[in-house]
Amino acid sequence: MNPDRAVGILLFLLAVGYGLEALGLEAEYLADPLGPKAFPLLLAAVLLGLSLLMVAFPGPGAWPGFPAWARQGVALLSFVVYAYALVPLGFVLASSLEVGLLARLLGAGWAKGLAAGFAFALALYLTFVFGLGIPLPLGAWWPG
Amino acid sequence: MDVLTQLAHGFAVALTPLNLALAFAGAFLGTLIGALPGIGPVNGVAILIPIAYALKLPPESALILLAGVYYGAEYGGRISSILLNVPGDAGAVITTLDGYPMAQKGKAGEALALSALSSFIGGTLSVVGLTLFAPLLAQWAIRFGPAEYFALMVFAFTTLASLAGRSPVKALASSVFGLMLATVGLDPGSGVPRFTFGQLKLYDGVDFLIVAIGLFAISEVLVLMEQTFLGRGGAIRVETTLVSLKTFLASLWSILRGAAIGFFIGVLPGAGASIASAIAYTTEKRLVDREGTFGQGDPRGVAAPEAANNAAAGGAMVPMLTLGVPGSGTTAVLLGALMMFNVTPGPLIFQNRPEVVWGLIASMYIGNLMLLVLNLPLVGVFARILAIPRWFLVPAIATLSFVGVYAVNNSAFDLLFMTGIGVWGYLMRKFGFPLAPMILGLVLGRLMEVNLRRALAISGGDWGILFSSPIAKVLWILALLSLFFPWLVGRLAKAR
Amino acid sequence: MRKLGRLAVAALALGLFSGAGAFSPGNVECIAPANPGGGWDFTCRSVGKLLYDLKLVPRPVKVTNMPGGGGGVAFAHVVAKRKGDANLLVAASPATTLRLAQGKYGNFTADDVRWLAALGADFGVIAVRTDAPWKTLDDLIADLKKDPAKIAFGGGSAVGGQDHMKVLLLAKAAGIDPLKVKYVPFSGGGEALTSLLGGFVQVFPGDASETIEQMKAGKVRILAVLSEKRLAALPDVPTAKELGYDAIWAVWRGFYMPPGVPDDAYDWWVGTMRKVADSPQWAKIREGRGLAPFFKGGSEFEAFIKQQVKDFRELSRSLGLIK
Repeated sequence: MNPDRAVGILLFLLAVGYGLEALGLEAEYLADPLGPKAFPLLLAAVLLGLSLLMVAFPGPGAWPGFPAWARQGVALLSFVVYAYALVPLGFVLASSLEVGLLARLLGAGWAKGLAAGFAFALALYLTFVFGLGIPLPLGAWWPG
Repeated sequence: MDVLTQLAHGFAVALTPLNLALAFAGAFLGTLIGALPGIGPVNGVAILIPIAYALKLPPESALILLAGVYYGAEYGGRISSILLNVPGDAGAVITTLDGYPMAQKGKAGEALALSALSSFIGGTLSVVGLTLFAPLLAQWAIRFGPAEYFALMVFAFTTLASLAGRSPVKALASSVFGLMLATVGLDPGSGVPRFTFGQLKLYDGVDFLIVAIGLFAISEVLVLMEQTFLGRGGAIRVETTLVSLKTFLASLWSILRGAAIGFFIGVLPGAGASIASAIAYTTEKRLVDREGTFGQGDPRGVAAPEAANNAAAGGAMVPMLTLGVPGSGTTAVLLGALMMFNVTPGPLIFQNRPEVVWGLIASMYIGNLMLLVLNLPLVGVFARILAIPRWFLVPAIATLSFVGVYAVNNSAFDLLFMTGIGVWGYLMRKFGFPLAPMILGLVLGRLMEVNLRRALAISGGDWGILFSSPIAKVLWILALLSLFFPWLVGRLAKAR
Repeated sequence: MRKLGRLAVAALALGLFSGAGAFSPGNVECIAPANPGGGWDFTCRSVGKLLYDLKLVPRPVKVTNMPGGGGGVAFAHVVAKRKGDANLLVAASPATTLRLAQGKYGNFTADDVRWLAALGADFGVIAVRTDAPWKTLDDLIADLKKDPAKIAFGGGSAVGGQDHMKVLLLAKAAGIDPLKVKYVPFSGGGEALTSLLGGFVQVFPGDASETIEQMKAGKVRILAVLSEKRLAALPDVPTAKELGYDAIWAVWRGFYMPPGVPDDAYDWWVGTMRKVADSPQWAKIREGRGLAPFFKGGSEFEAFIKQQVKDFRELSRSLGLIK
């Protein structure tokens, strides 16, 4: 299927979902006659129209490739893990690992990546905590 | 002239060694903070308030330091916009449109230098405007009520049409995404939470900076990963030469127009650098883009918004100083800072604490100059950032984005949200949807809806209120013109 | 850093065994449930600084901004993750109690935390432009009774928020159907004030502190103050109460602490807050910020809070804001 058509269908579904959610908004007290529903419903309608246009008049039919999808997937997963690991591991350790991993995904060696990551993370830590006075997680494993 | 004597007193305050040092420190720190994606001027200023307080600085000195940070952050935000396609704050989004392509073509130095010069001119002109016309401008700002703001937002929205590029449908859809994101949060007109799915964090709406970083930086990380995988895009040949006189002169009118637009919009409370730079850019594009070079790395596409956003920063000081009303997020923080130092902004501040006001204004002149002096030589240094090998640059961008976002709110949720938006942004790029309209839709969306409903609340449902005042009428006409501009220009061209 | 603090507190506590269970503060943290620059942020920073300046705490108080959910995110965090932390203060105000009453903090209630003390209060005011036709509150109420739709109240809070509640409270006290009164929500007092000055709304139900400057500049007339007694800063402005409208709105600024804070620590903090409130430095900060003296601490404060939440809930229900 033409990619624009596919995207159009997805957006159609998004518009419908958004619109249905908007319809469910109930307000007890209204300061203005439009209320919380109006604008979202308008947007849903516009998006609906646009998605139908995309389905009806798709552009050229080339699907974009995702050649690096595996690496990107790993990277994204690492972002999620990073978000949760920041506090237990501490900023410096978590960031060193993250940089190391991403560097590896981009072709550099582990040693180079982790070393650079550590240096960078340490520099950032010092800048933020001591330079700007913004606390960053130290890590649950840190003594004290 | 009374104003000039006041200003002279102001300079006397601003030129003391302490205040000069503080202005420099503020400018430098601000540039650094602004250059870090994820930390915008709002947070940068907020971070330094306790430090300024702890140093027991007199109010005018503290304000000079903080204002220096504000300005510096505005300058700094450009750096990441141009080099990394990551806007440092709302005002820097538009700069990515032509700044990043310029850097990709090897003209990073020129883009940075031009941006510094435009910012300097825009900032200085706005301070002149502030000096001479502050009370008058306050009157202008007051005449904008909800109906007028709505009309202004509609006008801003129509100018976005010129960002459409190849596919107007996709550009419009992109802006609708932004508008939809803007509806997330507690609805002020009814107190009802919308699209928050039970997440308390979303009650205050989606954070602009998180969306900007996610949309631009995280998607950029994914794009760069792909390009590296495909063996494309080695290090870019970096020219660190500054901007040539020829290019500068060619951009001069763009700078001046951008500064004017930026200043008058910045004066309006609530309308800030992002709207100012958007309107300045699109206006320039309409006026001077004959060969379709805007969006491909046209210097004027950098000059106009840069002049506009610094002018808007200066303009935002007007309501802050004259009415005690914040003109933008950063001035809101500055206001809070002023109150901490027991200076109450408001109409009487010019009488009660002239040394604070004029000291601040004088230091803004100095600050702008300092930033130019600081930034121009550093252009070479900054541009070399692009020479950093991909395997380090990409993770560095990602880490900087994370730390910037996390440092503000200590929230894992923010990071996850940012990642999600990043994936969305990546998909948008792959399928040909422009990013800028989405982020602008986010900014405009809130203001549009909120003001429309306020206007209707006031009029009790009478839609006529939207068209009643002269200002509103003018704005609607401008909006119509702006929508049909390309068609009009085409007609006129044919008629010749 | 927090672990360090707790360890320090534990060590100090052990070391000071002679103090008969006396609590000693360690690394004190103050959470401001909002972005920098607002009221809660101010409360944390100014009181925090004073605690250190007056040598009541050994190290500077760390201020953490935790915005989100109108204070809900911080509330949830404190209840769930900071139980028993005797070195944690969280800034609060009627914005907190109002939201608790309206169920805006999810399933949390006022009983989930320990309410510490309030140190000062701003009061609601009813203000109009100087060139408005109403010279007294009675004039305004009279016109409001005749045709409520003609007069727009522009406040800085969303629907259901403080500024809105002030209007509804006043209407109720004046015998006007609160649902007929036109309230226009703005994003903050500053925007609402600007709208008033521009003539787009007619009345500003804001706070005294944000209105005084405009009044001194002659742009705005304050018709009444929503307090028990006249304010020292506004001696010529009558209270709504003395004019016959029983509407009080005290925007107190105070703190709550996590649940499970031991009594000795809690009592220590109450005493310390009293010391801060009585200090001349606080008086100066208070006056600079337009806050009137107001102190409630410990069990008196807890009772005050519980009553306030109850009152707000009833009021919100009667006004149709919640079910």
